Amino acid sequence: MDGRNCWRRGVLLLLTAVMLTACHEKNTHHVLNIGLAEEPRTLNVWLASDANSRKVLSLIYQPLYVYDPDTLDLVPWLAESMPVYDAQTLSYSVTLREARWSDDTPFTSRDVAFTGSLIQSFKVPRYASDWDFIKRIETPDSRTVRFYLKQPMAAFLTGTLSTPIVQEKEWADFAEKAQTTEKPLTALVNHRMQHPVGTGPFTLEQWRRGAFLHLKRNPHFFGIGKTIGGRTLGPFVDDLVYTVFGTSDVAILALIKGDIDMLWWPIQPGYMADLSRRKEIRLFTNEKSALYFMGFNLRRPPFNDMALRRAVAYMIDKKFIVSRILQGQGTKMFSVVPEENRFWCCTDLPRYGDGMSRENRLKAAYQVLVDAGYSWAVPPVDAAGNLQAAREIRLPGGQPMKRFTILTPPADYDPHRATSGLMIQEWLRELGMPAYARPMAFSSMLEQIKGHHDFDAFILGYGHLGLDPDYVRNLFHSANDKSRGWNMSGYRNSAFDEMADRSISEMDPVKRQALVMEMQKLIARDLPYIPLYKPSVVEAVRRDRFEGWVEMLEGIGNIWSMCQVKPVSSDGA
Amino acid sequence: MTDANLPSPKTGTTPGMAAGRALPHWVDRFLGGWRVYRKNTIGRIGMALLVLFALMATTSFIPQWVDPMYHPMTGVDPQISYSTGPSLRHWLGTDFIGRDIFSQLLAGARIAFMVGISSALISILFGTTIGMVAGYAGKHTDLILMRLADMIMVMPTLLVVLLLSALFGQLNIWIIVLMIALFRWPGVARVIRSQTLSLRHRPFIEAARVAGASHLRIIFRHILPNVMPLALLYMTFRVTSAIIIEAALAFLGFGDPGTVSWGMMLQWVWKTGHMFQAPYWMLPPGICISLITMAFYMTGRAMDDVLDPRLREEETTP
Repeated sequence: MDGRNCWRRGVLLLLTAVMLTACHEKNTHHVLNIGLAEEPRTLNVWLASDANSRKVLSLIYQPLYVYDPDTLDLVPWLAESMPVYDAQTLSYSVTLREARWSDDTPFTSRDVAFTGSLIQSFKVPRYASDWDFIKRIETPDSRTVRFYLKQPMAAFLTGTLSTPIVQEKEWADFAEKAQTTEKPLTALVNHRMQHPVGTGPFTLEQWRRGAFLHLKRNPHFFGIGKTIGGRTLGPFVDDLVYTVFGTSDVAILALIKGDIDMLWWPIQPGYMADLSRRKEIRLFTNEKSALYFMGFNLRRPPFNDMALRRAVAYMIDKKFIVSRILQGQGTKMFSVVPEENRFWCCTDLPRYGDGMSRENRLKAAYQVLVDAGYSWAVPPVDAAGNLQAAREIRLPGGQPMKRFTILTPPADYDPHRATSGLMIQEWLRELGMPAYARPMAFSSMLEQIKGHHDFDAFILGYGHLGLDPDYVRNLFHSANDKSRGWNMSGYRNSAFDEMADRSISEMDPVKRQALVMEMQKLIARDLPYIPLYKPSVVEAVRRDRFEGWVEMLEGIGNIWSMCQVKPVSSDGA
Repeated sequence: MTDANLPSPKTGTTPGMAAGRALPHWVDRFLGGWRVYRKNTIGRIGMALLVLFALMATTSFIPQWVDPMYHPMTGVDPQISYSTGPSLRHWLGTDFIGRDIFSQLLAGARIAFMVGISSALISILFGTTIGMVAGYAGKHTDLILMRLADMIMVMPTLLVVLLLSALFGQLNIWIIVLMIALFRWPGVARVIRSQTLSLRHRPFIEAARVAGASHLRIIFRHILPNVMPLALLYMTFRVTSAIIIEAALAFLGFGDPGTVSWGMMLQWVWKTGHMFQAPYWMLPPGICISLITMAFYMTGRAMDDVLDPRLREEETTP
């Protein structure tokens, strides 16, 4: 009997021990559940142009340098130190950190050189412009890379050195094979990547399309336990699970219920009141490096006339757009460079209509048009200076202005831009202009604007502008006024072109700053684009699950956050 | 089924000569139908609802006359820049930019009637004409027209309109009306065709033919008046489906953005994240869509009663 009891006790003890171990295991295995708006399109880094793919790939493939979240200065990441410039040979030397790929092979300078040559030989659209000025890349040893430039190029640091680096071993064979095909680039971007090998904090474990995507902590991540940019890196979570939600309502409910810990997705203002009342939810509001603007087709009437564009600029009530349509979650823009980009943004620009009442805006726009020779069947302002319903505006030649359309993305894609288009339509009608806002499918809209140049005006936005102002040159340089070119408006100004060309090769930041400021002034004068607004990013996380989120431009969804978030409950905090 | 121009078999008198007083034939038929309709409770409820919505539609222009801030699309309350609940100033509250929801609801009634009735009228026009021609002509014409009707009938209307919208950009409300009409005529055409088939060998048609009437005259003077009530009955059901399709399109973001419809209101409430936060904004358009479709359906059911004597309850005669 005693023996049996002893045996029972032994089994009981063993079971208890197993259970306790299991419980302990569970507690120390930390899974960060992230909600995504849509399924990532691809894991092929050369094809990934959508935000959701980048949210995954940015944690796998790493660049040589990243931006510091506070100062927005470059911080060595895969590089060990800042690059050394040699003006004599027009070269930059970069020393690499000791790092390993997720398959435990060493990361070397050959990988960097391979990445560069792959981008150059395939002319990968997303990165080609950052690499086409590189003459050659040398690898004196496994931890040193030397980039020789064809000409001085200011965008080298922010563009070239921020490119994600891929593993030569993983891509070399396939790249060689793709080069033998009729369309090498198509073969490269269509390559179906199953298990990307990277140097980042996480590595892909499983992707079940339509359900979830599972990333696992990369034990070979070079940053583990290191202090970079004044921050001690983890990652402190074992797994990241991305769940795809079709609609924001379901995602918000999942967050409230605790099914996800973070919603990597800007939250609409309508949800904010409810979420901010909940103790377990924390909202983060951050600025975006973005530009939302109204663009014109300068290649044909009526918007080939600067006076008309200026009158439109007077009529647009940016305060209305920001305070009502964006519900205060954004800021007005007057330059094509966001104000947060303090070093490059020109603040000394005309602010058409800003701070004016509706009546004054209308009168100012009317005056601009009258001075330019426009007339009306019934003008918006009568002889006594009172406002009246305008009818039939006529061009300076006397012919009635033809109906024109303002293309916008559809409301289901971006309600802000669609509603802004409608409001602008109404404001322009006050001047007697036959304006019609027309939301259309985003891809069709881009095809019409970029591909065929068949449009009058449009409202578009760049959601993730680089911090280097090189894009100002790209957007308005006459060399880019071609089918599918960046210069959608067809803006042609030789003075601007000359300044833009000088700015890109000017290595002295102060001199370059002066040039970029002048370029912004020309744009603000000629108005090929009217900058409208810049939305803020509001993101939500569970306060009771993880902490240590790092806020920066574009929000908390960044590499720093993913390397620093820690579970709240692990130490009883 | 009788020729509309023949004496009424029920009264034995020439239409328009009821009770010794000359009344136009259509008035006589209408009054007769109305007497039956009035007795139908479902019909009365449906009619009452329709009158209510018609009242909303006709008064939709009034708020913006009172104050421009009540313009359903462009009017905003200068003091309110976010969604607020019902108040004396805004009976149903305001939307996310401070527009009056009640004004939008009234404007939505106008759009619902416009879309519903226009597309139903067009689809009935197409369906009746094609059905009569197919039934009367028979043979190859019948075969071709009915196969065409079959092809269109199996197309998922909403999906096709969504695809077209994605291809050609956001559609104008009249194009939406036309597209709904073009996809909804086959059902009507099939019913009208079968009715025409039963009519074309009737003595009065034969008589007209012998008298030398042309095909067009026979179709439009002799067959049309007999199939018209059926066409009108189907029209009420087509109105219902047109309103639902337009609301679905608008809700999914493919409606006419320059028009304030109930579907568009629902889209705004959804896309701006107010679905669970602003019931005063979400419920009214939803309820209105349900009620107006129900009202047309009820009216249709009651009209069925009027047009088909077999469905009526036995009348007790003293």
